[in-house]
Amino acid sequence: MTTENPAGDTGIERFEIRVKGHLEPRWAAWFDGLSLSTHDDGTTVIAGPVVDQAALHGLLQKLRDLGIPLVSLTQIPPDTTASQQEN
Amino acid sequence: MSAAEPVADGPLLQTKLHVPRRRRGVIARPRLGARLRRDDLPALTLISAPAGFGKTTLLAEWVAGEGPATGWLSLDARDNDPAVFWTYVVAALRAAVPEVGGSALALLRSHAPMDAVVATLLNELNDVAGDVVLVLDDYHLIEAQELHEAMAFLVEQLPPQIHLVIGSRADPPLPLGGLRGRGDLLEIRAADLRFTPDEAATYLNDTMGLALTGDDVDALEARTEGWIAALQLAALSMQGRDDVTDFIAGFAGDDRFIVDYLADEVLQRQSDEVRAFLLQTSILSRLTASLCTAVTGQGEAKAMLDLLDRANLFLVPLDDRRVWYRYHHLFADVLRARLLDEEPDLLHDLHRRACDWYAAHDDRPEAIRHAMAAEDFPRAAELIELAAPMLRRTRQEATLRRWLEALPGEVFETRPVLAMGLVGAHMATGSIVGVETLLDDVERWFRPVPAGDTSGPALQMVVADHDEFLRLPAQAAVQRAGLALMAGDTAGTIAHANRALDLLVADDGLIRGAAAALIGLADWRLGELEAARSRYADAVATFVRAGFFADSLGCSIALVDIQLALGQLTDAMRTFEAGLALAVEHGPLRGTADMHVGVAELLRERNQLDAALDHLHAGEQLGEHAGLPQNAYRWRVAAARIKQAQGDFAGALELLDQAERVYNTDFSPDVRPIGATRARVQLAQGDVASAVAWVRDRGLAADDDLSYVREYEHITLARTLLAQHTTGRVSQPSADLLGLLDRLLDAAEDGQRAGSATEILILQALAHQARTDTRTALATLEQALERAQAENYVRVFLDEGAPMVALLRAAANQGVAVHHARRLLAEVDDAPSAPSRQAVVDELSSRELEVLRLLRSDLSGPDIARELLVSLNTVRTHTKSIYSKLGVNNRREAVSRSAQLGL
Repeated sequence: MTTENPAGDTGIERFEIRVKGHLEPRWAAWFDGLSLSTHDDGTTVIAGPVVDQAALHGLLQKLRDLGIPLVSLTQIPPDTTASQQEN
Repeated sequence: MSAAEPVADGPLLQTKLHVPRRRRGVIARPRLGARLRRDDLPALTLISAPAGFGKTTLLAEWVAGEGPATGWLSLDARDNDPAVFWTYVVAALRAAVPEVGGSALALLRSHAPMDAVVATLLNELNDVAGDVVLVLDDYHLIEAQELHEAMAFLVEQLPPQIHLVIGSRADPPLPLGGLRGRGDLLEIRAADLRFTPDEAATYLNDTMGLALTGDDVDALEARTEGWIAALQLAALSMQGRDDVTDFIAGFAGDDRFIVDYLADEVLQRQSDEVRAFLLQTSILSRLTASLCTAVTGQGEAKAMLDLLDRANLFLVPLDDRRVWYRYHHLFADVLRARLLDEEPDLLHDLHRRACDWYAAHDDRPEAIRHAMAAEDFPRAAELIELAAPMLRRTRQEATLRRWLEALPGEVFETRPVLAMGLVGAHMATGSIVGVETLLDDVERWFRPVPAGDTSGPALQMVVADHDEFLRLPAQAAVQRAGLALMAGDTAGTIAHANRALDLLVADDGLIRGAAAALIGLADWRLGELEAARSRYADAVATFVRAGFFADSLGCSIALVDIQLALGQLTDAMRTFEAGLALAVEHGPLRGTADMHVGVAELLRERNQLDAALDHLHAGEQLGEHAGLPQNAYRWRVAAARIKQAQGDFAGALELLDQAERVYNTDFSPDVRPIGATRARVQLAQGDVASAVAWVRDRGLAADDDLSYVREYEHITLARTLLAQHTTGRVSQPSADLLGLLDRLLDAAEDGQRAGSATEILILQALAHQARTDTRTALATLEQALERAQAENYVRVFLDEGAPMVALLRAAANQGVAVHHARRLLAEVDDAPSAPSRQAVVDELSSRELEVLRLLRSDLSGPDIARELLVSLNTVRTHTKSIYSKLGVNNRREAVSRSAQLGL
C-alpha cells in the first residue's frame, strides 16, 4: 500500500480485471466508472481504483452475474496504467 | 398487496414459494433428468453454473415430474435476514409437509436464538415420514455468514428422508468436500448444463422454428459454447430474418461479449416504446401492470407485459394468473447497465416512482429499497421509522440494522425515533460505540430551551411514528441505565432506571419491566436482596401482563436465585411453576429449559432426586437452545449436584468441569462460583487437599471482610477448615473457623438471607460436634432444624453425610426439633439416594479397598499399619475417608455396610 500520493486517495488500491470478450465502453458506469479497454486477444481489461476488498468482491460478483468468463485479477501499482499503455 | 398473505406475523410473498411457470420454448433434456433421479436423491443436490445456463428451468421441469413432496423457495437479497430466511424456508417446507415447522416458527416468534430455531426444525424434520425435497433457487444471493453456518449445520444433520436441492451461480460455502466423500452430493455443473450440439439443433430448429443448416447450428454452438441464454438471444435475433447465415457469420467472427452483441441485436429490433419500457422497468425486481404504469408513465402496461411474455423477451411469470413477472436475472442486468449508461438522470426518478407505488401498496421493505436506490434518504428514513415496529415484531432486526446503518449520519440528528432505533440495534449487538452521542441527539429534543435563548434549535425535528416518540424519554433513560450497568456503575443504573419509571408513558410494560429488572439487578449486586426480590417480582408480573413472556422467564431465574438466598423455597417453586405454565400456554418460549432446570434444583433440595432428574431430562429434551444464555452452565451444575446427592462424586466433578467451559452469567452477579461448588464436592469426596488448594488460589482467609457476593465462597472456606479438622490434619477446629462462622451468620441474618443462615448453622453444629461439644452442637442444630422445617430443606442436611446423620439421631433421641429431625432420618433410612455399590466402589481408592478388607478382619489398627507398611496415622486417614464414603461412623458399621453392599 502507498504511504501517500498527490491524488489524495491514500490507501485505495488499484486493480486490473481481465475478462474474456470485448465489453463496450457503455459498461463503464455499470462497473462503477472504472476504465474499460479491449485487447486484440479478445479480452477486455477493467481497471482502476477500488475502495476496498468488499468493493472488489462486488465487482467480481457483477461479472459473475453477467456470465462473463474471468481470466485474471491483478493488483497494480498506484501510478501505472499498464493496460492502456499496452494497447 | 395481492400476492402477499400474512403468515407467521409477516407477509410472505407467495410467488417466492411457487415453482416458476414453464416458459415458452423449453426443450426436454432427458440426459439431465436421468441424473436427477427423484427416487434416489442424496442429501444435497447442487446445480452450480453461471447465469443463463438453464438452472431454474431444469429444476422447475424436474419438480413438475412425478416424485416426492417438494417445497420451492426462490431466494432474494432480502432473505439475508435470518428471521426472513427461516420463515420462508419453513413456509416452503410446509407447502410440501403441512404439519412440519410449527415449533420452529413459534420459537422464531419467541425471540429464541436462530440456532435453536434450526435445531427445532431439524427435530421436526426427523419425524417426517417419507421423502421430502426442498429446492432453494438463486442461493448465490445469500451472503450472510450466519446463514451459511446454519445451513452447513442443517446439511450435516439432515435426516435421510429430507433432500436439499440448491441452484446457485457460485458454489455455496457448505461442507461440499465431506458430502462428496460420503456420496451425499450430486452435482450438475456448467459442463453438464451447456446445450450439446444436438440439443442446440433441437432448440433452434424444432422449438424456435429457425430451419438452420447443420453448419449454422455448429457455428452458433461453437461461438456460444452451448451457453443457453446466448442461444436464446441468438434465436430471438434471427426470428423473421432472411439473412440468417450472414448474421451467424457476423456473430461468429466478432469478439464482443456475446450477451452484449446479441442484446444489441434484440433491442434494435424492438420499437422505441418497447425498448423504453424494458430499460425503465429493469429497476424492478418484480413486475406487475400497475407498478409498471407508475414507473414508466406508459398507460398500457398490461398489454406490454403480455406482448413481452408472448415474444419470449425474458419475462418469467411468477404466478399462474400472469399477474406478477420478473425479468430473467441476466437480461435484467444487461438492461440496467444500459439504463445507467443511456439515461443516468432518469434513474433516481424511476426509483422514486417505484418507491411511491410500493409505499401506497403497503410493501414498505420494497419501498425502502427503492428510496435508498433513489438516494432519497429523508423518504427512506420516514419509511424505516414507520416500518420499524413491524420489523421488530417479526424479528427482522438484521434488516432494520442494515437500513439504519445505510442512512447518512445527519438523518439521526433530526429524527429522534430513528436515532433510538439505532441505539437499540447497537445495544442488541453489544456494541456501545456512538450510543451516548445518539442518546444525546434524542434527549436534546426534550430539553427545555433556556429562557432568553431565542435562537432555538437550528434543526427541525422530524417524527413519523408519534406513539413511539412519546416513549422516547423513558426509553432513553432505560438505555442509559443499561449502559451504566455494562460500565459497572450500580448507582448510575438505579438512578437512570428510576428516571425511566418517572418518565413512563402509562402501561408501557416493556420499559417498566426493563427498568424494574435493571434496578433489581443493581440491588442484587449490592446484596439488597429483599429490594431486589420485590423489583424482580414486579418485572416478572409486568412482562407477563404486557405479553413479553420470554423476558418474564429471564427475570424469573434471577428472582429464584434471590428467593433461594432468602430461604423462600416454596415461593421459588411457585415462580418456576408459573414460568412453566406460561411456556405451556404461550410456548415454546426461550427460557422454558431454564424453568425445568430450576425446578430440578429445588426438587433436589427436597431430596426428590428422581423427579429432579425428570425435569433435568425435560430441559435437555427441549434442547439447550430453548434456554437462556445461562442455561448451558446451570443445567450442568444442577446435574452435578444431583450426582453429588447420589454419591457419584466423579460424575459431579466431570459435569462441573463442563459447566465451567460454558459459563455465562449474562450480567447476573456470580454468587455461586463453580470453583466453590467443585471444592464442596471434593470435600464430600474426602479430597481435602484439592479444596485447600482452591482456598489458596482464591486468596480466601477466615478474617476476610465479608460480603454477600463472596458469601458462598466463604461458607466453602468454612467447610474446608472444618474438613481439615475432621480428617485429622488439624487437631481442634480453630478459633478461626468458629469466628468465621459467627461472622457469616451475623452477616446472613443482617441481610435476611435465611437460606444461607440455615447452612451456616449446620456447619456450626458440626464444628461444635467435632470439638465433642455435643450439647452446643445440638442446640445449634435445633435452630437449623426449626428454620428448615417450614420450607422442608433436606439435602442441605443430608449432604453433610455421616456426622450429620449421627447428630440427627442424637437430636431425635433427645427430643430436639424431633419432627424435622425424624423426617430427615426417614429420608436416610429408605435412602433411594444412598450410595450404590458401584458408586462406592468407584469412590474407594484401591488402597482404601485394601484397608476396608483388613477392617473386616480381627486385626487392630497398628496391625493393619504394619501389614500395609504405613504409619498408624495413614491408616486412620484412610479409615476416616472410608467411613465418610460409606456414610458410617465406626468400624462395626463400616463392616456391616460393606457386607450389605457386597464389597
